[in-house]
Amino acid sequence: MTEAILRIFQRFPSVRPYALLFFALGILVLLLLFPLLIMLLYSFAQRGTYGGLKPIDNLGQYLTSFSWLSNYIRSLDPIYIEIYARSLWMAIATTGLCLVIGYPISYYISLKVQPSWKNTLLTLVVVPFWTSFLIRTYAWIILLRSEGLINQGLMALGWIHAPIETLLYSEFAVMLGLVYGELPFMILPLYASIEKLDTALLEAASDLGANAFWTFVKITIPATLPGILAGIILVFIPTIGAFITPDLLGGAKSILVGNLIQNQFVIARDKPFGSAICFGLTTFVLLLLFLYARYSTRKEKEVFV
Amino acid sequence: MKQFVIIICLIALLGCGNKESSETKKLNLYIWSAYITDETIKKFEKQTGITVRYDTYDSNEALLEKLQSGITEYDIVVPSDYAARILIHQGLLETLDQSKLKGVENLTPRFQDMPFDPNHGHTIPFLWGTTGIGYNKTKVTEPVDSWSILWNPRYQNRILMLDDPREVFGSVLKWKGHSINSKNPADLEEAKGLLIQQKPLVKTYNSASFDEVLLSGDVWLAQGWSGQLAKAADQNKDLAYVIPKEGGTIWVDNMAIPKGTKHTEAAYAFINFVLTPETAAEITNLSGYPSPNEAAKKFIKPDILNDPARYPDEQTLAKCEFLMDVGETSTLVDRYWTEIKSH
Amino acid sequence: MRTRALSRWFLFSESTLVYIFLYAPIAILIIYSFNTSKYAIWEGFSWQWYETLLNDDLVLRALKNSLIVALVSTIISTLIGTLAALGMQRFEFRGKGAIDGIFYLPVIIPEIVMAASLVIFFGFIRFTLGMTTVILAHIAFCVSYVIIVVRARLEGFDKTLEEAAMDLGANEFQTFFKVTLPVIAPGILSGALLAFTISIDDYIITSFVAGVGSTTLPLQIYSMVKTKVTPEINAVSTLLLIPTILLIVIADRLQREKK
Repeated sequence: MTEAILRIFQRFPSVRPYALLFFALGILVLLLLFPLLIMLLYSFAQRGTYGGLKPIDNLGQYLTSFSWLSNYIRSLDPIYIEIYARSLWMAIATTGLCLVIGYPISYYISLKVQPSWKNTLLTLVVVPFWTSFLIRTYAWIILLRSEGLINQGLMALGWIHAPIETLLYSEFAVMLGLVYGELPFMILPLYASIEKLDTALLEAASDLGANAFWTFVKITIPATLPGILAGIILVFIPTIGAFITPDLLGGAKSILVGNLIQNQFVIARDKPFGSAICFGLTTFVLLLLFLYARYSTRKEKEVFV
Repeated sequence: MKQFVIIICLIALLGCGNKESSETKKLNLYIWSAYITDETIKKFEKQTGITVRYDTYDSNEALLEKLQSGITEYDIVVPSDYAARILIHQGLLETLDQSKLKGVENLTPRFQDMPFDPNHGHTIPFLWGTTGIGYNKTKVTEPVDSWSILWNPRYQNRILMLDDPREVFGSVLKWKGHSINSKNPADLEEAKGLLIQQKPLVKTYNSASFDEVLLSGDVWLAQGWSGQLAKAADQNKDLAYVIPKEGGTIWVDNMAIPKGTKHTEAAYAFINFVLTPETAAEITNLSGYPSPNEAAKKFIKPDILNDPARYPDEQTLAKCEFLMDVGETSTLVDRYWTEIKSH
Repeated sequence: MRTRALSRWFLFSESTLVYIFLYAPIAILIIYSFNTSKYAIWEGFSWQWYETLLNDDLVLRALKNSLIVALVSTIISTLIGTLAALGMQRFEFRGKGAIDGIFYLPVIIPEIVMAASLVIFFGFIRFTLGMTTVILAHIAFCVSYVIIVVRARLEGFDKTLEEAAMDLGANEFQTFFKVTLPVIAPGILSGALLAFTISIDDYIITSFVAGVGSTTLPLQIYSMVKTKVTPEINAVSTLLLIPTILLIVIADRLQREKK
């Protein structure tokens, strides 16, 4: 058998890469591209009376009257725009917080710690991520609820006299949960980038009289920009589609894009509309990535002193 | 390295190749999460020799979704009234062969012929209940007799509502004297306005563990379903359950056989098993939800039987309605629900 | 320089706080798994929840399902992913850019979009939901991660070794197994480990495509978090932590050795 394959490779050398890629590509075409295509078609259809699809009587008329766009038009309704805006804000805030919280610790581990400790400390950052995400969220419920540990602790210390009601089932809790889940994804790329920083540059800057603040702003940040951007992308994208954390920690009181999609598929059973929103979200994400890719290839071409 | 990979493959195959040999002695059950215990299932398995695999769900919509997609293999499902009606309409349930049923006469007359499924053509009631308000008597000292109490600012952030658009809208519709199945856009719009007003007072929307949230003290008033709330009241004497004077929802969850199942005999065996007074009583005793089975009453624990929370009097029940599917109006309800949630 | 000491102190304390933040919930989880009381008030030490766990058929069955799914998906996705990574890394060919994009897709697409599309797809072709659909879905998203990791490892791979082997008369297959594979093995193993972890912990996609008897552990835990809320959940998570940490330690050791 192996001889046969080898002979084919010799006759048709260009087949080699495709042969290697065949299975992986096949799986993804079958289970990702094709389903996405079907979902696209669904997004042009309408919900039937009891859920499911409504049969189209007159295809010609359906196409010319632009009825096939109705789900997309509906998704631009102000009430939904509000939801997209809120999800966007949540994602930006979470990403911002992750950046602000993650940078110092990444800096510390890569530059201020004994080399033998670096790997261990970094692994320690990642370990929580390897436990079940749902269970960690549940732990926060125990900590944050009215009769939960944080309230109990604060009352025992005498700092408060009545439990803080809004620790749980609030935007604060959702933000906390999201940051908690995504922090490792910010720390890892930041670390990778900061580690490559040439400390000679920092010393040169301080020799020239710059204080710590300016060194940081003018040298460190630009040099670690690739890591910062990678971290932003890695945190922003999952956050914008999040729905479990808002559901469990937010008391199901607010509705983000992820909840909206899930609602459409499970509660309202309006698959066409849900599909349309999915595509809207995907297009947005792909656009962001496209911009990121353009920007980073441009940066690579610049010569860095 | 190669040997390692081979060994792993073998182990995986062994796990996969766990195909049960006998096709007929199996039952795939899809049921609400709080409804049946391992005890009862084991009794069934022992009695009939049928192996049961069961999965749970906590919303009718999840069930409808799975059945409508046509790609699941459950033999018994337990839809609520309005969901059952949708399934019957769509031809997704088997018409029951009445000659194979044993024990239907055990049911309370009211549950033998229900609006959504005349003469139990497709469904057999499993458990029933009402939707009302569970509350903490020590924290809520004024009388709890109207849905309006859930709008009282004194209880800000101590109120829980079900995460269920029909039930939540139902509470307002009943309060304002309309039917919970009203398709009138004006009624629904009024309801939406009131619910948006209520939102700052609501701590959380939760359909799965509303009893637990009430028990933990996070909230003092919780809209919820009778069985779980009555059970919570058993655990904590400070809690009580009441159906407001305007009336609430009465619901029945029913066993049904999806069309095209492979284990029909096993399905009928299960239904008949549940229809026996002893089993029906056990299910009630363990889940805390009242049984539609009249003959079971003599085996049900007295404190459950005499609990007005579980078995309300006729007068109260007369004011309660079954939820019915509202067809095209569902889209409006969903839209209003989205509006409320995004406020 | 005072600012230097100050900034060092700041970095140290911020980092410590972050570690506390990361580990607090986990510590709580572990401690309370030994609590006699059901609620968050410490009442005494007890193993009872672990006992309940061992007798809980639903959880044990979910665990078994999770392991089967994770093992099968990991093996298959690692195999085909490694091959694909080799193809991408070594060759230039038509359509490479597009194919690259396709391989990245599962990683960038929001999970819920992938979940929704899969359930629509299976419904469309009338394929019954069950273990098979779950495994297929897992392979689909795991393969991308494997490709990314193995490709990273392939960067900077010294081809001269392979060329030497070929010069000595080995054919492509022999070269691959005897020369290439041992060198990239740590990368493959990392990829496999990553795939395994992702598969074991997946909730969203699995919840959409699971069917009869294919409830995995995350699905079971989610249902428990929403309904039962007893410290049994804490016991499950504590027990899960142990193999996870073991796997990480092993992976770490392997990485260091091969270097």
